[in-house]
Amino acid sequence: MSKTAGFEEHRLENGLRVVIEPMPHVRSASAGFLVKTGARDETPALAGISHFLEHMCFKGTQKRDWRQITIDFDNLGSTYNAYTSKERTFYFGWVRTEDLEKQVELLADMMRSSIPADEFDTEKKVILEEIAGSNDQLDRTVYDFIHEKVYSGHALAWPVLGTQESVGALKQEQMRGYFDERYHAGNMILIIAGAVDPADAVAIAERICGSWKGGRPRPDRIAPPKLPEGAALRQTDRFQQQVLAYLHPSSSGKDPDREDANVMASILGGHNSRFFWNIVQKGVAPYVWSGRLDYCDQGMMLLGGFCEPEKLESLQEAILREVGKVSESGVTDEEVSRVKNRVRTALATEAESPYHRLMQMVQDVDVLGRPRSVSERIAAIDAVTPSSIQAHLERWPVGGKGYLASVGPREWPEL
Amino acid sequence: MSEEERFHHERLPCGVEFAALPIAGRRTATFEIRILAGMANEPSDKLGIANLVAESIDKGTAKRSGQALNDAFDAIGAQRSLFAGREAFVFRCTCLPEFVGQALALHVELLRTPAFPEESCAVAIDLAKQELTALDDEPDEMLRKFLARHGYGEVLGRHTFGTRESLDRITGEDISAYWRSHFGAARMLVSAGGVVDVDRFSEALEARFEGFGNGTGDGRATFPLEFSPGRRHYDKKLEQEYIGICWPGVPKTHPDYSVEVVLLAVLSGGMSSRLFTEVREKQGLVYWVGAWNEHPRGAGMMFAGASSTPPNCDKTYRSLLREVDRLAEDISEEEMARAKVGIAAKRETHGDATSSRVGELGADLFHYGRPVPRQEKLDKVMAVTIDDVRRYLGEQPRDRLCVVTLGPRPLEDQAP
Repeated sequence: MSKTAGFEEHRLENGLRVVIEPMPHVRSASAGFLVKTGARDETPALAGISHFLEHMCFKGTQKRDWRQITIDFDNLGSTYNAYTSKERTFYFGWVRTEDLEKQVELLADMMRSSIPADEFDTEKKVILEEIAGSNDQLDRTVYDFIHEKVYSGHALAWPVLGTQESVGALKQEQMRGYFDERYHAGNMILIIAGAVDPADAVAIAERICGSWKGGRPRPDRIAPPKLPEGAALRQTDRFQQQVLAYLHPSSSGKDPDREDANVMASILGGHNSRFFWNIVQKGVAPYVWSGRLDYCDQGMMLLGGFCEPEKLESLQEAILREVGKVSESGVTDEEVSRVKNRVRTALATEAESPYHRLMQMVQDVDVLGRPRSVSERIAAIDAVTPSSIQAHLERWPVGGKGYLASVGPREWPEL
Repeated sequence: MSEEERFHHERLPCGVEFAALPIAGRRTATFEIRILAGMANEPSDKLGIANLVAESIDKGTAKRSGQALNDAFDAIGAQRSLFAGREAFVFRCTCLPEFVGQALALHVELLRTPAFPEESCAVAIDLAKQELTALDDEPDEMLRKFLARHGYGEVLGRHTFGTRESLDRITGEDISAYWRSHFGAARMLVSAGGVVDVDRFSEALEARFEGFGNGTGDGRATFPLEFSPGRRHYDKKLEQEYIGICWPGVPKTHPDYSVEVVLLAVLSGGMSSRLFTEVREKQGLVYWVGAWNEHPRGAGMMFAGASSTPPNCDKTYRSLLREVDRLAEDISEEEMARAKVGIAAKRETHGDATSSRVGELGADLFHYGRPVPRQEKLDKVMAVTIDDVRRYLGEQPRDRLCVVTLGPRPLEDQAP
C-alpha cells in the first residue's frame, strides 16, 4: 500500500486499483466503482450503450435479481446511484461506516452483472422515456446540439443517452460483448472516502474483488478534431427562449493551467461576476454564464445565455463587450481573490462529507490519474494570479470568432 | 448522537428567536435567518413582490452598493443564498468559522438598511417577467406551479414570479414598503451550527437587531389551505406527458406525521420502493416517478408524479393511483423495516454536513417552535406500526384528488 498526502492506494494482483481517503472526523463512508468507459468510447452503432449498461447493472447478477439489488441497497439506508458521462461510468453508495463492507460487496456484485435478457427490453423502454424527457429540456437540448455540431464525425458528438434509433436497435449480445471488454479489474478503480481504516478497506477489496479477472484497459481514445470556427442554428418552436453560446478552445482536464481557466470563467460568468452585474443586472437576460467543458484531451470555454428571442442582439453585444474587456485588460487582483475565498469555503464544506469527497476524487482519479487533497487544491488555486490568467488568455483566447451555437424559435444568426 | 445535540434555544429581548447546535470537529459554520413573511403575505394585486424583495434586498444598502456588498461577502468566502418562500424568506450562509461574525454583520446590514435602488428594482421586475418566459421551458417546474395553484388555493398556491399583470403593477416603492411592513426582529428565526461560539453569536444578534422593525405581528399565523380536487389538463407541445397528483396530508406537528414519513419512504424512498418498482422497473413506463410531501405551517400535502410518453401516460396514471391505494392492502413488515432503516441511516450520513444540520434546525424552529433532537424524531419513526399506516390511510381518504397533466393530450382515463 502506498501513501500520498492524505490518501492510501493499493493495487490488487488482478490490477484493480483501490484509492482511499481516510476521514476520521466524520461518521459515514462512501464507496464507488469507476469504470473507465463512457459515451466517447462507443462506436456509432453502439451509441448509448454505456449508459444503457449502467442501468442494466441494477437489473441482476448471478447472486441477485433486480429486486434484491434494490432491497439490499435500501436495507443499508444507502444514498446510492450511478451516472454515465462522455468519459466514465460511476456507481456509488454512501452509508454508515459500519455498513461499508456490505456496500462495497453490493456494488462489486453489480460490476459482475448478468445483464439479464428478460429485463433488457423493459429497461430499454425506461431509457427511451429518459431520452424523451431529455428532449423536453432546453439545457439538455443545447448541450447535445453543441456536441453534435462541434464534434461532428467524432465519438464526442452523440448524446450520452444515445438516440431513439441507436438505443432501439441495441441487442443484449452487443451489450454482453461491451461489458466483457470494459468491466474488468484492469479497467476499473474502487474509490473509498470516509471514517475508515485504510488497511481494513484494502482487506475488504481483496476479499470481495480479489478473484476478479484482470484485463486490458480500454482502447486508447482518438483525440477530437480542433474546435472549429463557424455557427450553427437549431430553429425550433418547442421552446420560448433562445440560447446563444460562444464556444472557444480551452485547456483540457489534464492541462496544468485548467485552474486559470476555471478562475477566469468564474470571474466572467460565475457568482458575483462581470456577466452578472453588467448583463443580468442590466435586465438583458436572466441566465448568462461562462463555464468549461473539459475532456481528457480537449477543453471548451462556453460563454452564453438564455434570453427572450427579441433580446438576442442585446445579449450578443453584451457578451462580446465583456469578452473584449477581459481580453484587452485581463482581470484584477480583487477578482481573483474573491474566487479563491469562495473556493476555500467550498473545499472546507466538501471536507465534511464523504459523499462530496468521493465525487471530487472520482473526477481527479479519472482525469489526472490520482486524487488531490483539499490542501493540494487550495495550493493550486492559490497559484492563480492575474498574470497567469493573462498568460492563459494568450494561449486560449476568447476574443476571436469562435463557434456560435443558437437554439430557439428565432432564425438567428443568419448562416 | 446525543453528545452532539446540545441545543441552545432562546427568545432574545430584541424579539429574535435563536437556536444553535455547536458541533465539535466540523470545518465550517452555517447560519440561517428566516423572516416570517413570504408569498402568502403578498397583496393579491401584487403577486410576485416577495421574490422582488429577495432579488433586490442585496443590491445596495445605506452604505454600500450592491456590488460592494457582494464583494464584501466574497472577501470572507461566504457561501450564501436567499429566497422568498411561501411563508418565509430564508437567508443561508456557510463560511469558515473565523468569519462568522463578519458574515452576520453583513446580513444585518442588508436586512436592516437595504437601499432598494430604483434601477435594481426595475431590473428585478423586468427579470421576473423574463423568468415567466423561462418557466415555460421547464415542464417539471410548470407542473409544480399548476399543482400548487389547485392543491393549495389562492394564497398558499402562489408562484414565485407572480403574473405579468401583477408585476406591471409593482413599483420600487411597493418593494420597499413590503420590506418595511414585514421585516423585523419579532419575525426572525435564526439558527446556527457547526463551529460557532453560541454566546458571542447570541450577543451579536441582540446588539444588532435591537429595535429592528415595527413589531407588527410575529408572522406565526397560518394561512388558509383551499384544496380544489378535480382533473386539469394544460396543453403543451412536449414529448412526454407530465402527471402530478396531490391530496391533503398532515402537518408536521400532527401525531401522525411520523406515519406519513414512513409511508412516503415505502412509496418512494429508494429504488426498492413501490412506485419505482411497480411503475418503472416492472413496466418500463417512465424514467421519472416519485412521491413527496410539503408542509406549509400547520398543513401538509402529499404529492405523486411521473412523466411518460403519450402511449404510456394513461397506464402510468392508473399505476400511480393503484400503488397509493394498494398501500392499505398489503404493506409488509419487511417494507416498514426497510423504510425505517433508510430514514435512520440517511439522518446519520447526511448529518455529517453542517449545512444539513442547520437546515433541519431552522425547519424545526419554524414548524415546532423549538429544536427537536434527532433521536426524538427517530424514536417516533421507529414506533410506527403497520396498523398505524392502515389507520392513517383510512383517516386520510384519497377519493378526492387534485390531478394536473401537462403535455400533448389529456388523460383518457376518467377515474377518479
